[in-house]
Amino acid sequence: MTTIIQDNKSPFSSKFLQFYKDRTLLAILLSLFAVMFVYGIFFTENYLTITNFKAIIRDAALYGIMAIGLTFVTLSGNFFLLSLKETASICGVTFAMGMATGFGSPDLVGNFLVSLLAALSVGVLSGVIQGYFVGMGGNPIVVTLGGAGILYGIGAWWSDNLVINFKRPHDAEWLGTGSFLGLPSITLAFILIAIAAELVLRHTNFGRKVYLVGANKAAGRATGHENFSMAIIVFTICSVCCAFVAVAFVAQMDSAQSNYFSAEFGSSGDMTILVIATVMVGGNSIMGGYGSTLRTSLGAIFIAMVDNMMVLQGFNSGPRIVGVGLMIVFSIIVFGLFAKGSRAQE
Amino acid sequence: MASDPVLKISNVSRTFGAIQALKEANFEINEGEIMGLVGENGAGKSTLVKIISGFDPGFKGSYQLNGKEVKFDTPSKAEESGIAIAQQELSLIPNMSVAENIFLTGAKVKKFATLNTLSKMARPYLDEVGLTDIDPSTRINLLSVGEQHLVEVARLISREAKILILDEPTAALGELESRRILEMVQRLAKNGKSIIYVSHRLDEIFKITKRITILRDGVSQGVQETKDIDVNKLVEIMLGRELANMFPSRADHISLESKIEVKDLWPDGVLEPVSFSAYQGEILGLSGQLGSGAGEVLASIAGALKSRSGSLTLNGETFLPKSPSQAIKKKIAYCSSDRKKDGLFLGRPIFENLTSPALDTISKFGFNLGSTEDSYAKNLAQEFLIDVKRVYDESGLLSGGNQQKVALGKWLSIKPDVLLVNEPTRGVDVGAKSEIYQRMRELAARGITIIFASTDIQEITYLPDRVITFYRGMMIDEHRLEQIKTPVILKEITDPFNETNL
Repeated sequence: MTTIIQDNKSPFSSKFLQFYKDRTLLAILLSLFAVMFVYGIFFTENYLTITNFKAIIRDAALYGIMAIGLTFVTLSGNFFLLSLKETASICGVTFAMGMATGFGSPDLVGNFLVSLLAALSVGVLSGVIQGYFVGMGGNPIVVTLGGAGILYGIGAWWSDNLVINFKRPHDAEWLGTGSFLGLPSITLAFILIAIAAELVLRHTNFGRKVYLVGANKAAGRATGHENFSMAIIVFTICSVCCAFVAVAFVAQMDSAQSNYFSAEFGSSGDMTILVIATVMVGGNSIMGGYGSTLRTSLGAIFIAMVDNMMVLQGFNSGPRIVGVGLMIVFSIIVFGLFAKGSRAQE
Repeated sequence: MASDPVLKISNVSRTFGAIQALKEANFEINEGEIMGLVGENGAGKSTLVKIISGFDPGFKGSYQLNGKEVKFDTPSKAEESGIAIAQQELSLIPNMSVAENIFLTGAKVKKFATLNTLSKMARPYLDEVGLTDIDPSTRINLLSVGEQHLVEVARLISREAKILILDEPTAALGELESRRILEMVQRLAKNGKSIIYVSHRLDEIFKITKRITILRDGVSQGVQETKDIDVNKLVEIMLGRELANMFPSRADHISLESKIEVKDLWPDGVLEPVSFSAYQGEILGLSGQLGSGAGEVLASIAGALKSRSGSLTLNGETFLPKSPSQAIKKKIAYCSSDRKKDGLFLGRPIFENLTSPALDTISKFGFNLGSTEDSYAKNLAQEFLIDVKRVYDESGLLSGGNQQKVALGKWLSIKPDVLLVNEPTRGVDVGAKSEIYQRMRELAARGITIIFASTDIQEITYLPDRVITFYRGMMIDEHRLEQIKTPVILKEITDPFNETNL
């Protein structure tokens, strides 16, 4: 009576687009790596040294870990946690307070475990609260911007905006400046977290739900995966990553201040922008449902390489921040082009 | 009839890829005439409307306006020539006043104007559509939906539209509001406007039109004089007869073992609590127009829509699901009418879509290593006639029919006791339609209770074992097996209380 109309009218173009959507971003990133590498070898002094590469990965590790946490938020369609540096700030202050004062009890002064747990709990708490409001239907931007103000304010208030010092030797040195097997501990932590995160996303039900809810919240609800619990979990993961990075950074500096992550951090200025840039440069979809933490990790290393190159070339921080900004714009344009291509047939 | 038609379309065809939406359509309308345009879902009504209003320039055939051949590349070009369309989804800006909305764009927009002058300018147009009691400075979102429709039309008139297309203007409206729309249409026609009235509500078509153009499978079935035709004849022309065999044969009897009992369910959009039960292994159809409450009842059984009261009894348990996930736990699956909105994860591969409701069954302790899922998804795909080689493709790349098969097929993964389907074949080509009907019948034969809601009169007549009819939020009647007759159902879902004297 009627012929069954199958979809094979344009298998080539659709497959082509899909293949390239998956591979091209990665290919672009890798070829940029290569270009930079070659350029570095020939035109930059002191580039091809083990010390330099260790420095690159070490730089990447700090914001890379936070970016991996943020990737869960972005993939699940909850946009961004904009209170990244403020969460890190209050957790850093908490950790330093623990190390320096033992939260008022002399027995606990310098107790690494208690300070660490306190900092992580603050991270969990702020993640759960912000996730709760987003899960209830709040706009992630508004909620986490509000969260940013509150978290930063509490940290600054608590520490009277002072630098909290704790003297060496202390129990956190192994995390701050120590190393294992020739690699700084923070680098090792980055590698382990990156592997774990990728395994979770690929091979657990939770990981699958992150993608599904991110791809379509309404369909997620219809198939029994609510964004409510999802938002709480991903914001908590992200905040805990922030707390961990804050602890490592504070352990390295032997001190904390509430504005460490805005002005003093690293070389490229604002922590939040740097982390968001990492997620974007890796090629994760802002709208959610598409991407991976592996991409984010590569993005982190890429940004660290660019930054490192600019440092060796003698640029100061202004132009380097411009560089990060340009990378965000570029990656969004490239991703936008490919995302458009694959949706052409909808 | 003696005058030449103002708008005449002849031998128009339109294809989208492999699908032929219009094969051979002819259409004409005279000055001051109300022309009804009817046809099933997918018969090509909306394609024809898009062609007339300039949204779709990619057609073949002749389009004449006042005897001259024309071609509109954009809707605004058509509007300049006096052809305007009021779509189902209104394009009003809710936070602006009535007057501002009327003069949002078009030749009459002034560079500087106070709300006061705009209000004065808007007055005559509002009077013309019958909104005499509305202050033009009122904000749009304070008006009822019906009034908003009237404002939309007033806006079109202000741009000097000669030919107005109204696409299902009363679909979301109650009786009183619908009546206002009909009065407006008749008034406008008296003032010399030509009106193309597209509607599923046949009572309205008979009440206001002079002539009716009927579309079936993309072919226009000639123009009928309204006074020479009755509902039965119209439906017969709309459906054609030869299509009936795309439906699998019914069960020969209805099991009397009740599977799910719905008691006093009362979702929004339904006037009074609804109670019915569905039997083991039957296909139960809920029939009604958009807004009749059939779809709402279905959604609230699945926990997707809140119900004010009531309970379900399934497998000896009595409960009321508050969310889809609760319903899924009780083995109730619900496939919504809008697969792009909440039926599919378009950006994700097909296999992920197929296993999405049943992640627990394809994993061990929360870990999913892929092999179980792979075979599981492929089985489902095979069972629902989806190309197994394509399960790794993005589901957004599939055609409407195949998408619908994925949206429906994924629910088999939870081994449901009750399968609820809202509009099982909306936007689906005929081939896939018949496959979906076949699958539904097989699932029912396996003992799954299927309840579906549909506005498609053909599928309501031929697919289910039992039909319950709904009209404007009320349950009207129930029919079984051989007693399911198109004219009876059509009457019950359009005009059960003899409000029109057909």
